[in-house]
Amino acid sequence: MRRPAAPSRRLALAATLLLGLAARRAVAVPPARVVSLNPSLTAMVLALGARDRLVGVDDFSARQEPEVASLPRVGGLYNPSLEAVVALRPDLVLLVPSAEQRDFRERLAALGIRVLALDPLRFDEVLAALERVGEVLGRADAARARAGAERRALELARELTAGLPRPRVVLVLQRDPLYVAGGGSFIDEMIEAAGGRNLGAAFAEPYPRVAEEWLIAAAPERILDSSSEPGAARAFWSRWPSLPALTQHGVVVLPAGLVTLPGPWLDRALAALVRAIHGVELALPADDAPAPRAAPPPKAAP
Amino acid sequence: MRVLTRRRLAGVLGVLALLLGLALVFGLGVGPSGLAPGDVLRALFGHEGGPAADIVLRVRLPRVALAALVGASLSVAGVLFQALLRNALADPYVLGVSGGAALGGILVLGFGSALGLGYGAVPPAAFAGAVITTLLLFLVSGFQGRLSPTTLLLTGVVFNAFASAAIVFVASLAGLTEGASIFLWLIGNLSAARADVAGFVAAFLVLGLACALPLARRLDLLALGEESALQLGVDVERVRRVLLLATSLLVGAAVSVAGLVGFVGLIVPHLLRLVLGPDHRLLLPASALGGASFLVLCDTLARSLLPGRELPVGAITALAGGPLFLWLLRREQARRLAA
Amino acid sequence: MTAPLAFEGVEARLGERRVLRGVDLALAPGEVLGVLGANGAGKTTLLRVASRVLRPSAGRVIVGGQPIERIGRRALARALAVVPQESFVPFAFRVGEVVLMGRAPHLGLLGFESPSDVTRACDAMERVGIAALADRPLSGLSGGERQLVMLARALAQDPEVLLLDEPTAFLDLRHRVEVLELVRAVTREGRSALVVSHDLALVARFCDRLALLAEGRILAIGRPAEVLTPERLRQAFGIEADVLAAPDGSPIVLPRASAPAAPTGADR
Repeated sequence: MRRPAAPSRRLALAATLLLGLAARRAVAVPPARVVSLNPSLTAMVLALGARDRLVGVDDFSARQEPEVASLPRVGGLYNPSLEAVVALRPDLVLLVPSAEQRDFRERLAALGIRVLALDPLRFDEVLAALERVGEVLGRADAARARAGAERRALELARELTAGLPRPRVVLVLQRDPLYVAGGGSFIDEMIEAAGGRNLGAAFAEPYPRVAEEWLIAAAPERILDSSSEPGAARAFWSRWPSLPALTQHGVVVLPAGLVTLPGPWLDRALAALVRAIHGVELALPADDAPAPRAAPPPKAAP
Repeated sequence: MRVLTRRRLAGVLGVLALLLGLALVFGLGVGPSGLAPGDVLRALFGHEGGPAADIVLRVRLPRVALAALVGASLSVAGVLFQALLRNALADPYVLGVSGGAALGGILVLGFGSALGLGYGAVPPAAFAGAVITTLLLFLVSGFQGRLSPTTLLLTGVVFNAFASAAIVFVASLAGLTEGASIFLWLIGNLSAARADVAGFVAAFLVLGLACALPLARRLDLLALGEESALQLGVDVERVRRVLLLATSLLVGAAVSVAGLVGFVGLIVPHLLRLVLGPDHRLLLPASALGGASFLVLCDTLARSLLPGRELPVGAITALAGGPLFLWLLRREQARRLAA
Repeated sequence: MTAPLAFEGVEARLGERRVLRGVDLALAPGEVLGVLGANGAGKTTLLRVASRVLRPSAGRVIVGGQPIERIGRRALARALAVVPQESFVPFAFRVGEVVLMGRAPHLGLLGFESPSDVTRACDAMERVGIAALADRPLSGLSGGERQLVMLARALAQDPEVLLLDEPTAFLDLRHRVEVLELVRAVTREGRSALVVSHDLALVARFCDRLALLAEGRILAIGRPAEVLTPERLRQAFGIEADVLAAPDGSPIVLPRASAPAAPTGADR
């Protein structure tokens, strides 16, 4: 899961430029020792069938993806250990440039380690990031296929829900304090494509902290609860009986990483959203991606 | 000559109760969802459901009640600490009880999910932290059977330093969302308001007041100095013990639920002392009422300044309290120089 | 008649040091007893033991015929009142409020002063001459005025015995005289007073008896002329002095300039 206060677009552009520069120093041979410092990037690597090239991951990736649980860990999202990363002798480090990790990236670059920094906020940016990772890892075709599948799913979702009434939706990332998906995020785009009206779009930031009063007054018909402690969701929302979502069976628990990770499985995320918002099944085209892993029950907040 | 009579006491407390009533009305009527006064009244006195009812009765009412109770607890604790330490600049967090509470709460916030503990475990853990710290304070400072203010103060400084270090340690290990929760808790935040939580604080407020109010006159005598108080018939050691106990209950309960809301315990007693005089028989109950109003006002502002959003109440008390405190500090210095 | 205050073989320690060694002293009713001695001789400790702030390591203190341990806190506060030397008050109490606090040992359970309590406090302020200061905050007063406030507070306390610790330290000559005359007047009404002081001349004139303390023991006790002899003064203070007699018989002590090489009392 991404941090609630995401960096600005300009920073993402700068990151892309920088990694373009970094790419010029790239050798033709695709990197064989990759360290990932963000669960969404780890998911991309796994989806592209490059698991064997991962030599180290951050704590969150290890918790989210059972496949990499046995890999060496290099720290959390805020405080990865430079030493641990360097000790793994990576030839590529994947990270999302949050405030802490920006500094980290510079230090890695100063040590001559290649860094790929990606910060996708919008849906297209997620697909572009996936394709970039594929390019760098030498799995460009797989990446294009997967990205294509995600893009296709977005279109299919739009078509499927085109004529349906659009319920008011809010996607909750954390209940207490209350964080929702706002207007600046890919989640917002997915909700709209899935035929819902994202109430969080009233706020420009991608992951704003909002007042409970606001949510009650906005009267959402669907509450998509992606927070930790999914078991307590129903009890939590029942405190406000006026919520339309309660009467319309509109409180849906979505596993934390499913919809909120800007990664390679947004087609499944869209299917889950369509199911949650309209109760209909989105038929996804079969693809030849590696066998899907079941989303692990979230133990810790993402 | 200014003498405190029962009539003056009743009169002043009546005015303060009225002010509290106004603050409560303000708190129920104002919020980030922009409800009209008609809606608010209907929600309060009508029997229909609906979003307005949910907002007013289930979000604002517990919140306002909790703000009043926490504000009262912290203000009374502030008065008691200032009496105990014979210093008008002492605040309720100075002895480290709040540090212990913070540590307990943040341990759960940071690691609780790994242990399967939800957010509901935070207040009991914080309160346990407060209790443990109080016991340690008694053990360490009451070394030769005497609780001296200086020893208490130094012990408190050490406890706070330790708690801060431990909190930083936990916070640096914590994840994303825990980090946000920890920050909000440290600055003071009333969003956890629920009826049972308010009841918890109310119980300890009543208990703390029950311990402290009978001591009010003796607190005045304590201001004359330890020896003078002894010579006027005050059991100074016993009074100190009861004060320490009462303040720990008050601070423990408030902090465990609202985090470290700053300045309330410093500003409210000070302002009231300026207006009403230092007689503790008036100051103690007045601080309860005044503190309640103050925090209700601050929390309402915190909830309503930005549309749709919420600021933590600690941010408002610090913004209001900081400059106010500096001004009071300068007055105090001027007074000491003149003495 | 029982002595309102008596010391029997009292020893007191501060830490390891014995500050009082075997003090026997009995205050007579209606008497003003002055306590003199060099710094560190034990004068203030004597007062602290008398008011039970400090417990003796040996011996007994008897108040009104009863051993002091058997007397309740408030009862003791009604029997004895102390006028302290220092008085820092951290909050903005006014003079009237501080004097009124002297009534605390007499108050009922609810702790509010009755009109008669207020009257007594006002009377005390009148007697001491500070009635005009009643509404002034304590912090705005001079050291001498604060001392008078403490005296008024002790008078408001209405005790059997007044214990005064250097009551004239910050006062000008006129106020010194007024305070000691006030103490005399108060004892004429039946109370007693113990006055610790460095002001030899005044104390010699206004006290019925003097007790001279040196190194925790009473060197001499009796009428001022009997106690203030050059020999005793040398023993107690390590100074050479001439003692003359005033017209009314009270001794006047005139210290001689000490010889340059002679240390003051350090070789005792």
